[in-house]
Amino acid sequence: MDARVLGLFLAGTTLITAAPVAIGQETPPPVIEPELDRREIREADIDSENFEIGVFAGQISIEDFSSSSVIGVSLAYHITENIFAEASYAQADAGQTSFEILSGGAPFLTDDEREYTYYDLSVGYNVNGELFITDSTVFNTDFYLTVGGGSTEFGGDSQFTLTLGGGYRVLLTDYFALRLDVKDHIFSSEIIGEEKDTHNIQYTLGASFFF
Amino acid sequence: MRVIVFVFAFLSLCQLSAVRAESVVVKVVEPYADMHTGPASEFPIFHVIERGERITVLKEHTGWYKVMTEDGKEGWIAKAALASTRDVDDRPLLLAQNNFEGYQGRTWEFGIFGGKLDDVNAMSVSAAWILTENIAAEISATQALGDFSDNRMWLVRLQHYTFPEWRLTPYFTLGAGQIRTEPSATLVQSGADTRTNDLLEVGAGVRYYLTRNFVMRAEYKRLTALTERDEFEELNQWTLGFSVFF
Repeated sequence: MDARVLGLFLAGTTLITAAPVAIGQETPPPVIEPELDRREIREADIDSENFEIGVFAGQISIEDFSSSSVIGVSLAYHITENIFAEASYAQADAGQTSFEILSGGAPFLTDDEREYTYYDLSVGYNVNGELFITDSTVFNTDFYLTVGGGSTEFGGDSQFTLTLGGGYRVLLTDYFALRLDVKDHIFSSEIIGEEKDTHNIQYTLGASFFF
Repeated sequence: MRVIVFVFAFLSLCQLSAVRAESVVVKVVEPYADMHTGPASEFPIFHVIERGERITVLKEHTGWYKVMTEDGKEGWIAKAALASTRDVDDRPLLLAQNNFEGYQGRTWEFGIFGGKLDDVNAMSVSAAWILTENIAAEISATQALGDFSDNRMWLVRLQHYTFPEWRLTPYFTLGAGQIRTEPSATLVQSGADTRTNDLLEVGAGVRYYLTRNFVMRAEYKRLTALTERDEFEELNQWTLGFSVFF
């Protein structure tokens, strides 16, 4: 008895669940429609190139400590066609003061202290232009001025540093540029006695990629 | 401070990894669209795209779009020109709005600031994640270089924007972090040590939506360093800076 009831019940449920399938089979299968609802174009579909990463190398004149070669990296974000923000980090090994060389006496600084590193965060303003090499070879360029602040570590101390700069960027392609930069790093120093504002002028040549 | 560079690099990588679909083809519906030789309004117009022409959008740079016409000409058009094109199904393009509406819908904000920590020059960078229209979570790193010490701080804070629907709105911050004070070389010789202390912050500021994706911010923060001495050390920080949002 129990088994029969169960059997009926099972049969009933099978019928109920099967019913929609049966009805579904009677109606003609829908025509496969072309995918009308194509994905809308969104901004993310377009490759944006507003970041610029670069390396640079050149000479820096460290006040009182002769000139040295400098090497660094930079990362910029271009906010508008004219304004960009840039962070840079660079490193140089300072030379000797004239006094150290002439007197042949004890050095002012240890080798570690002679390591000159700085970072700065700058804001730059572009003036856009074009460079005509020949009639058909034309590169987009920009001349820019930057102002920023950062920190210089030299002689065992970190100093707040004001950075003023100017440069010229030649875009060889949309995403690859050559750069010539001149920057003055101004910070106060008392390494050779009296506290004074030192100007450390650097010029560098660099290459950068936009991504 | 190399850290900052790495953070920037990481964020930009995130952007890189965004999935891009097949080439974007749109149709010009305005009477014409100017094609410039470079991504700025100053660059000369060398070609005019006519109504009905189809163009392929190649890339974007600071609100300018590099496009290619059907006959292979490549040049740059302004965002406004691209925004008024249609896709192949005649739907308008969805471009992020660089206006106040876009500002209200932002999710990320990155800023740089300069100012004073007590009497010392201080510089900060910050990154914020906008949680609701009123509340944002922000992390910042600061370096303050004085005659006697080099101070580095990091702080995590919550910000509350009082009137998010206004261009100019006051806001309040509450945060915590750490400060590391390294005495300058002359003081090291006299026996001062580098120390790290926990930091609490309360602050208030105003922010003003400038234009495009710029915001200007002025802020005052009262910082309490939890030192091991009997008294807490109180610091006042004033900052002025700007942020960009996405």
